[in-house]
Amino acid sequence: MTRLTGGLVDRSKPLNFTFNGKSFKGFEGDTLASALLANGVQLMGRSFKYHRPRGVFAAGSEEPNAMVELRTGARQEPNTRATVTELFDGLTARSQNHMGPLERDLLAVNDVLSPFFAAGFYYKTFMWPKAFWEKLYEPAIRKAAGLGALSMLPDPDDYDKGFLHCDLLVVGGGAAGLSAALTAGRAGAEVVLADEDFALGGRLLMESDLLDEAEATAWIAAVKAELESLPNVRIMTRTTVFGVYDHGIFGAVERVSDHLPTPGDNVRQTLWRITAKRTVLAAGATERHIPFADNDRPGVMLAGAMRAYANRWAASPVKQDSDAIAIFTNGDDGHRTAMDLMAKGAKVLGVIDARADAKAFGDYELFAGATVTGTKGRLGLSAIEITRGGQSQWHSVGALGVAGGWNPNVHLSSHHRGRPVWDERLLAFVPSPDGPKGLIPAGAAAGKGGTAEALQDGMAAAIRALAELEITAAEIPLPKAENASAEQAAFWHVPGAKRAWVDFQNDVTVKDIALAHKENMKPVEHLKRWTTLGMATDQGKTSNISALAVMAELTGKSIPETGTTIFRPPYTGVSLSVLGGGDTGPLFRPRRLTPTHYWAEAQGAEFVEVGQWMRAQYFPQKGETTWRETVDREVLAVRSGVGLCDVTTLGKVDVQGADAGEFLNRIYSNMMGTLKVGKVRYGLMLREDGHAYDDGTCARLGEDHYVVTTTTANAGLVYRQMEFAHQCLWPELDVQLISTTDAWAQIAVAGPKSRELLSRIVDEFDMSNEAFPFMGCAELTICGGLRARLFRISFSGELAYEVAVPARFGQALMERLMEKGADLGVTPYGTEALGVLRIEKGHAAGAELNGQTTAQMLGLGKMVSAKKDSIGAVMSRREGLAADTRRLVGFKSMEPQTQAMAGSHLFTEGAAQTMDTDQGWLTSSCYSPHLESYIALGFLENGDTRLGEVLVAANPLEGQAVKVEVVSAHFVDPEGGRLRD
Amino acid sequence: MIDLVTDLTPICALGGTVARIETFGGLTITEHSDLGLASLALRKGQSAPQPFGLTLPDVGQAVSKDSYGAFWTGRDQWMIEGQGQGAIDFAAAVRAEAPGVTVTEQTDGFTAFEIASAQGAAPIEALMRKLVNIDPKALGAGQTTRTGLEHMTVFLIRRADDRLVVIGMRTLAGSLWHALAVAARRLED
Repeated sequence: MTRLTGGLVDRSKPLNFTFNGKSFKGFEGDTLASALLANGVQLMGRSFKYHRPRGVFAAGSEEPNAMVELRTGARQEPNTRATVTELFDGLTARSQNHMGPLERDLLAVNDVLSPFFAAGFYYKTFMWPKAFWEKLYEPAIRKAAGLGALSMLPDPDDYDKGFLHCDLLVVGGGAAGLSAALTAGRAGAEVVLADEDFALGGRLLMESDLLDEAEATAWIAAVKAELESLPNVRIMTRTTVFGVYDHGIFGAVERVSDHLPTPGDNVRQTLWRITAKRTVLAAGATERHIPFADNDRPGVMLAGAMRAYANRWAASPVKQDSDAIAIFTNGDDGHRTAMDLMAKGAKVLGVIDARADAKAFGDYELFAGATVTGTKGRLGLSAIEITRGGQSQWHSVGALGVAGGWNPNVHLSSHHRGRPVWDERLLAFVPSPDGPKGLIPAGAAAGKGGTAEALQDGMAAAIRALAELEITAAEIPLPKAENASAEQAAFWHVPGAKRAWVDFQNDVTVKDIALAHKENMKPVEHLKRWTTLGMATDQGKTSNISALAVMAELTGKSIPETGTTIFRPPYTGVSLSVLGGGDTGPLFRPRRLTPTHYWAEAQGAEFVEVGQWMRAQYFPQKGETTWRETVDREVLAVRSGVGLCDVTTLGKVDVQGADAGEFLNRIYSNMMGTLKVGKVRYGLMLREDGHAYDDGTCARLGEDHYVVTTTTANAGLVYRQMEFAHQCLWPELDVQLISTTDAWAQIAVAGPKSRELLSRIVDEFDMSNEAFPFMGCAELTICGGLRARLFRISFSGELAYEVAVPARFGQALMERLMEKGADLGVTPYGTEALGVLRIEKGHAAGAELNGQTTAQMLGLGKMVSAKKDSIGAVMSRREGLAADTRRLVGFKSMEPQTQAMAGSHLFTEGAAQTMDTDQGWLTSSCYSPHLESYIALGFLENGDTRLGEVLVAANPLEGQAVKVEVVSAHFVDPEGGRLRD
Repeated sequence: MIDLVTDLTPICALGGTVARIETFGGLTITEHSDLGLASLALRKGQSAPQPFGLTLPDVGQAVSKDSYGAFWTGRDQWMIEGQGQGAIDFAAAVRAEAPGVTVTEQTDGFTAFEIASAQGAAPIEALMRKLVNIDPKALGAGQTTRTGLEHMTVFLIRRADDRLVVIGMRTLAGSLWHALAVAARRLED
């Protein structure tokens, strides 16, 4: 055990956990990393590429090394940072990315082979033979690379989402964030304070600095208590604000239950979308390191992290108390760590300061003008080589803290492409002034990391933000604090022949950057992609600036001239489950149910998703063994008797107003204003570019009242398009539009016996052909007074009607029709039979109206009226479109029982099957029980003049070639006598 | 009033013969199956009528009087509500009150879920925070808006601080109830 005194762990609450199967004890308040360190465990994992032994490097979310597989079973989560994993009783974690035990990883052979794995090796190696890539190289590389493993089981937990609105969002609950939140909270503003840690305080928790001459925790507790008492302040700990999105919306993940063994009845995480009028970015800073030879051994870590472990978690970085600790720094900050460690009773070897004029801050040995030039230790640090004035000497140490300066956490300020700005005094990038609107950086994130200046800056940022919202905020009394000395030198790495790691997680060294430079990958964007620097799960938080500095040195340019780094969301990894929002499986997205859904379910119908709709696909009967058997029966029942199909899903737009007819003339390509009251007309809509858009019927119910029906798929789009035309194109027309799709349950009653069936339910309505002919419509009552609409239209080619009633009566109407039609053999049919019936009749549907076809191609060229203008009419006459010779025709398989699949392309028999010889394609295909043959619809060059020709329908993906005869698209009743009878 | 005289038995949007009602802690969600709805839109040059004595409200507002109400849905457009009028031809009733304007039957186009809190505004606002990207403070009593809820379009009407009605498409009733119920149940925990 290497537990120190003090700290913010609760020693009265011991917790048991295991790492790689070995049991350990920690305390409440520990992270997995601090608990392991306190147990003397330095080795926590293996590196990505070379499988080098690695230990914890940081103390926060920037951690590149200490990645574990947390939990077991379906909850196993790979690449979890031990540094932000709160310890709970029973926690189980395993190190990852090794073959065999962590201590004896067989894949460590990669380290010996490292000359072969230099920067860009993926791009240079495995090039030959080409065929080996997919089957051999890629699988082998994938197996060797990668970090943790997925459980491959479904996620058992629930996730939630939510929306927050506030005047001020404060990102980060450290010195600056707390003073900002308190200032705004007292001013009465709506405040959301979010911090990724489980405790408020940020860096204040990690330092030994006093506030008002007392431990900082006292001030933090007082501020927290006051904020909690304010109803206008919402404190969200364990919440990472991971991105800034459009319209000032911030994405944040609250880890509701990640600190518990299981979420129990609660959700695991919540995705919050926070709309903030103003934001204070008080995200702190991340320390950077100084690359030197063999700097990646367990025991080497950031000096600020070492200080954090000692002060907050009372954990020493060494394996045993007797091991000495050294600090390697380029500035004053490293000395603070030495002082804090000594105050905790740790054994400090001394401070190696790259500055020749460095001064000691206390009673420890100072190696001024010196650098660390090497390390030893197989699975953990045992010695370092200190070089001063050309003289090198080895010293035994158990840990080394490295302090290379601090980088403001500018990430969120870059999310709207704000470029960070180089600050020569700070030797760091500070947030861009053109970051997201309303975002004000404060404290260490703005380069003001001294405790006193951070407190002051947070308050000032809040006052400024609220002033912009015309809320007056008063200054708050800030605790007495100091700014630690932060002098530093621009010393970026220790030159040498051996490998010096820059990006630990992706195993990128100074040498790799030099090689990239040599290979002319000089722009930072190229450097990143060639070396993969900064592209691991830690996103290079500890490496980006060091890499830029190394590249700058190689190019002889300054750092800002070399490039900046820009950051994209998410700040830290976000699980796909929480982005998914919670519902899975059938609940994943909303489902629209037809008015007869429950009835169809009771009949044992099979359903199919059509957009959001669930539609009955077919209704299997006892004894039927295949879906085809069922569909054939349903189709034949319609052709010989009467069938019922719920067609509510077709869009219905109610169009009223004095100019309704004129409006429809402009919407439809064909004339609609001349339609007589009580009549229905087939209509075609074109897109602006002249292609066919949608088709359907339009019924005129009154002098200035029409009902437009659309296809199911385009219902929303057509309605939107009509609204656009109404509001923006022709606002002068007196038209009122509203969707009534859901209001009416509509049932197709189709087949030669449909009239007889309907006659049994209408109230005193003359159903005769003379009184109510084909393409008639009427408002009437049925079933003893229920108001209804009746349309005599046919999709199947048979005598047919559609009857509409208020949606709540849809199910009862279906039941009534089934009951009344029992002696007529009434048969419910689904979308599958509906499809067969319309293909047999040669009616176009979605497959033919796919956005690439024209009215002419559909054989509807004459429907584009030349007597008036309408949307798309002019464009439909342009040369390229008007000259298209492809026409919709029918196809019949020469072998009736062989299907030519939709999507097959048409070729002359014996011709080569290439793009040049392609003559068209099949759009829809089915088995026609009526013709006892497979049939299809499709577009064929000059198709209307080629009836009787035999072609090959080729489906090269399946190696299929089916001979088909070109026939009329109207397989059934081409004269249309049946539907007019 | 023109009653729908028929021997057919209607069903509620959620599929039952009686409306669903469920309580989650301090929140009760009721399927409001007898709410009559009709859209009212002005024709060119018409001034707003006062159906059932209602002064048709301005943008984002809802009004009510006795058992009738109206909420703004667009420029020169409103939805007229009739409590307990779900079983009649409500559009005809509205048309009789406001001759000459465009009225369209909408009773069966929508489903209305009334959410009542027994503990004041807080549970209603907490529920809103889990469901819609609307600032509860900006949707006070008497205010209405149209927004997305779990990828569904809905009208929200804050009838009072402790009462919110969510009106969604009838065919999506099941999914909408699921969304409301899951969120309400989680607030209960």
